[in-house]
Amino acid sequence: MDLSRRRFLQATVLTAAAAGLTAACGGGGAGGTRNGKNLTLWYWGGGLSDKVVKDAEAHFTEVTLKSAQIGGDFKQKLLTTLTGGQSVPDITGIKGEDMASFLPNANRFLDLNDLGFKDVAPQYLEWKTKLARSEDGRQIGFPIDIGPTAMFYRADFFEQAGLPSEPEEVAAQIKTWDDWLAAGRELHKAVPSASLINSASAVFDIAVGQGTQRFIDTGNHFVGDQDHIRTAWDLAVRPYELGLDAKINDNSWNAAIAKGTLATELGAAWHALDISSAAPDSKGKWRVAPMPGGPSNLGGSFLALPRQCRNPEQAFKVVSWLLSPANDARGFADAAIFPAAPAAYAMPQMTAGDPYFGGQKTIDVFGPAAKAIPAAYEAPADAALMARYKTELTNVETKGKKPDDAWKDAVAQAKQIAQRQGVR
Amino acid sequence: MTRTARSLRPKGLTAHLVLIVAVLVSVFPFYWTIVMATNTTRDIYRTPPKVSFGPHLLDNVRTVLDSIDFFGSMLNTLAVASVSTVLVLLVDSIAAFAFAKFDFPGRRWLFGVLLVFMMLPLQLAIIPQYLIMMHLGWLGTLKALIPPALANAFGIFWLRQYVSGGVPDELLDAARMDGCGFLRQYWHVVLPMTRPALAFLGIYAFVNAWNDYVWPLIALVNPEHITLQVALAQLNVGRSTDYSVVMAAVLIASAPLVLVFALFARGFIAGATEGAVRG
Amino acid sequence: MAAPPTTGPGSVAVDATGGGPGRPRFRPRRSAPAHHLPRPAARAARRGVLSFWPQYLAISPFYLVFGVFMLWPVFYSLYLAFHRWDGIGEMQFVGLQQFHFLMDDPVFWLSIRNTLAIWVLSTVPTLLGALVLATLLNSVRRFKSFYRIALFLPNVTSIVAIAIFFGAVFSNNFGLVNAILHMAGLPEVQWMSNPWTIKLVIALLMTWQWTGYNMIIYLAGMQAIPGEVYEAARIDGAGPVRTFLRITIPILRPIILFTVVISTVNGLQSFTEPQVLFGSNAANANLGGPGQAGLTTLLYFYQSAFSNNDFGYGAAIVWAFFVLILVLVVVNWRLVQRGRKS
Repeated sequence: MDLSRRRFLQATVLTAAAAGLTAACGGGGAGGTRNGKNLTLWYWGGGLSDKVVKDAEAHFTEVTLKSAQIGGDFKQKLLTTLTGGQSVPDITGIKGEDMASFLPNANRFLDLNDLGFKDVAPQYLEWKTKLARSEDGRQIGFPIDIGPTAMFYRADFFEQAGLPSEPEEVAAQIKTWDDWLAAGRELHKAVPSASLINSASAVFDIAVGQGTQRFIDTGNHFVGDQDHIRTAWDLAVRPYELGLDAKINDNSWNAAIAKGTLATELGAAWHALDISSAAPDSKGKWRVAPMPGGPSNLGGSFLALPRQCRNPEQAFKVVSWLLSPANDARGFADAAIFPAAPAAYAMPQMTAGDPYFGGQKTIDVFGPAAKAIPAAYEAPADAALMARYKTELTNVETKGKKPDDAWKDAVAQAKQIAQRQGVR
Repeated sequence: MTRTARSLRPKGLTAHLVLIVAVLVSVFPFYWTIVMATNTTRDIYRTPPKVSFGPHLLDNVRTVLDSIDFFGSMLNTLAVASVSTVLVLLVDSIAAFAFAKFDFPGRRWLFGVLLVFMMLPLQLAIIPQYLIMMHLGWLGTLKALIPPALANAFGIFWLRQYVSGGVPDELLDAARMDGCGFLRQYWHVVLPMTRPALAFLGIYAFVNAWNDYVWPLIALVNPEHITLQVALAQLNVGRSTDYSVVMAAVLIASAPLVLVFALFARGFIAGATEGAVRG
Repeated sequence: MAAPPTTGPGSVAVDATGGGPGRPRFRPRRSAPAHHLPRPAARAARRGVLSFWPQYLAISPFYLVFGVFMLWPVFYSLYLAFHRWDGIGEMQFVGLQQFHFLMDDPVFWLSIRNTLAIWVLSTVPTLLGALVLATLLNSVRRFKSFYRIALFLPNVTSIVAIAIFFGAVFSNNFGLVNAILHMAGLPEVQWMSNPWTIKLVIALLMTWQWTGYNMIIYLAGMQAIPGEVYEAARIDGAGPVRTFLRITIPILRPIILFTVVISTVNGLQSFTEPQVLFGSNAANANLGGPGQAGLTTLLYFYQSAFSNNDFGYGAAIVWAFFVLILVLVVVNWRLVQRGRKS
């Protein structure tokens, strides 16, 4: 928008305001200098440990830290406030899947390296840190957590099916996706009401993450039609073809898990909390084993400082305090937020057994997975492309669309979105 | 068919029967909302489900209050709805008076523009409205909700119909003879005489502002500044919906408006009908 | 019928019934609301423009707000449709590219088909039901205002609340409807998975909300029909059905036409229903439900513009959609007009 139009606009609106049409309603904007005494922190429910945040508010006495949980579409809200330029938070969360789309506008955020991130960076997993670094090397995100994935399973169902039920045995028997499918068939015979997966999209997401390349390569070329994606697609469709897919695509997952119609859940470490809160009655029946086919990451977020930040130095101190390995470990114990700092993995909060999982030390599964996650380039359009594949997988599940047709449509649509966003 | 009016009596019975069924259909969701809000989610998921009111309303409401700032967003909604209703009434009624009773040059043309824009899908304007609010720095504040509510042509259109039919020219002429200018005619003659129409428009503007969702969803950000509908929708997000809690929120969010409507319904519907008949 | 901000769709329709004071109200050709500006009352004498300054002043507050927040935005969004812009970075002129993309975008066309299907599925039962109920209500003497209030009640509840309610009741696995089917020994229906039942649920929701409203409008029209007309019909030996078809319907035609037009404009703008039913956001691949069966054009617009920050594309979607509505309204109008002549 050029300046003259902007001025015209402001003038017009000011006239309207002067005409007394706009009643006072709501507060004013945020002012302040670069050493402001007030800091606001935005995150979403479950994005940070509420306890740790509360402690931070008490811990920092030089500044007043005020936190707000933003509901709804967090990315849209953040973008709205960044573009609006009013009451921009001084510290904000950015979801892992949204990070790539903010990187082209990295100049909207402060470079954390200038504030001392370089010194603490080695404490955090490099593959994660890299995801919040722009092409010209600006580090805009401080890793909060990661989402190393694993297979959650109902030990009681496994037992009924004559399968091994202890985590070590399961790990030994189910190494590849084929092993997993074979186990699924046994399970289905023994417990007909139980499905292997909640939906095909969940498998696809994980399988794509097991590779080192996603839909767009570092040269900005579309590669979403190539073998590595096709393999993930075929795998995602298999349970459906075998009748092992619960095909849950609405909000009835909660009820399904409570009723015990899901025998395995493929998900990230934080998914443990979803399961335990949806099915408190199944306490002790679930276990965790390594992901078939190797580790992969789902989600996991960052904290960033918008460039309007009123006190960058203090804000960075707050962030590094919130995300220190010790507090990270508390976050895990409190809200199943899996630290991006491996040092935390050895702390008592993380090595303790989880009663919901029959006392299993889940870190034995997630810890090694976290360190072995393959690094892959995520293009800004990545999330939008992923959505199209998932949509088509859902079409297979709900409309009975032929997987091959769905694949072709998914590729065509993904290609178009990529083009629209300037991918070659 | 016989030709006497009395022969229509049996039909009258059928009519009542059909109407009662329709009433049941239209009222059932309110009943079932209360059932869900007063039980636990597990009771609802049970087969067969519980169909009577349960004792858990307070627990559910407490969970709602813990998860969202319910009263805060209700106050926000109340503030926005009140302010925009008052402004709509003032701005629209005076413009409607001018349109109804004066043949000033350009009137047809100006009014025609309104009619055209009443037919446009308002979403055409949303992105630029968003940009304007962005430049004003109003995004994320409740102020952003007022102007779009005000820019709606319906009120003028509707009031103009009413004023042109409901306010006799003779009365205005008499007022002018007494030396009343435009403003005093408006204030002393038009406003008092259009009270039913204003009441109707006021309720409608208020209900619409209260229930509006799309624009607040886009324009509001901070949980301190969201409206009730946005807060409600946020409660419902995710696969892990705890229905009894969400329905408790729906219940306490809808109850005030439904009660107010039930109280004023006679006048409101009469206003609508009268406006329609009077034209 | 996701009412656009503060436009009670219904509220617009109220004046459908309007005619000028003291005019014959049901002259069929006058179907548009635009047709009658009031007669310039007693003051027909020509006066200078300046002498009307109080009137211009009176309408200026509205027109200022209207100009800034409605008129200008509508045209500016057309300008945006020729650009690529992510909301933060530089705006880039791309000519007709967005519209080319639109042509090839299967999701856009899917959203159009969905929107049309939902519109038909909701408008037809809504208007027919409203007409029948209004006729019945007009024929009874007792409990009239009770019926009116009870049937109008759905219209004052918010779409968000209703959508949440319908989502709970029609939930696939544990909703009330399936529980009832189950108890009746019938197979359960995957309401929220099948593309047609998804549309059906959305349409049902809209029908529930808007039937009573349209009924009130029709009732107002019916009450204005002089009793003598019916008296004459009865003397001629016409039964109720015949009376309804031959007298009520033709006299109500302008009102019906207007409710059809308003339902077209508003019914095609459904957004909140699928958005709330399926909790859509950017990260959700099932925008508008499984198979995107509930993805309406405006929901797609919202996602493109405000979730994917593709503002140019969003503007192109909404403008292309508007042209489509225009065509539909014109076709509708023509059909009804022709029906009148034959």
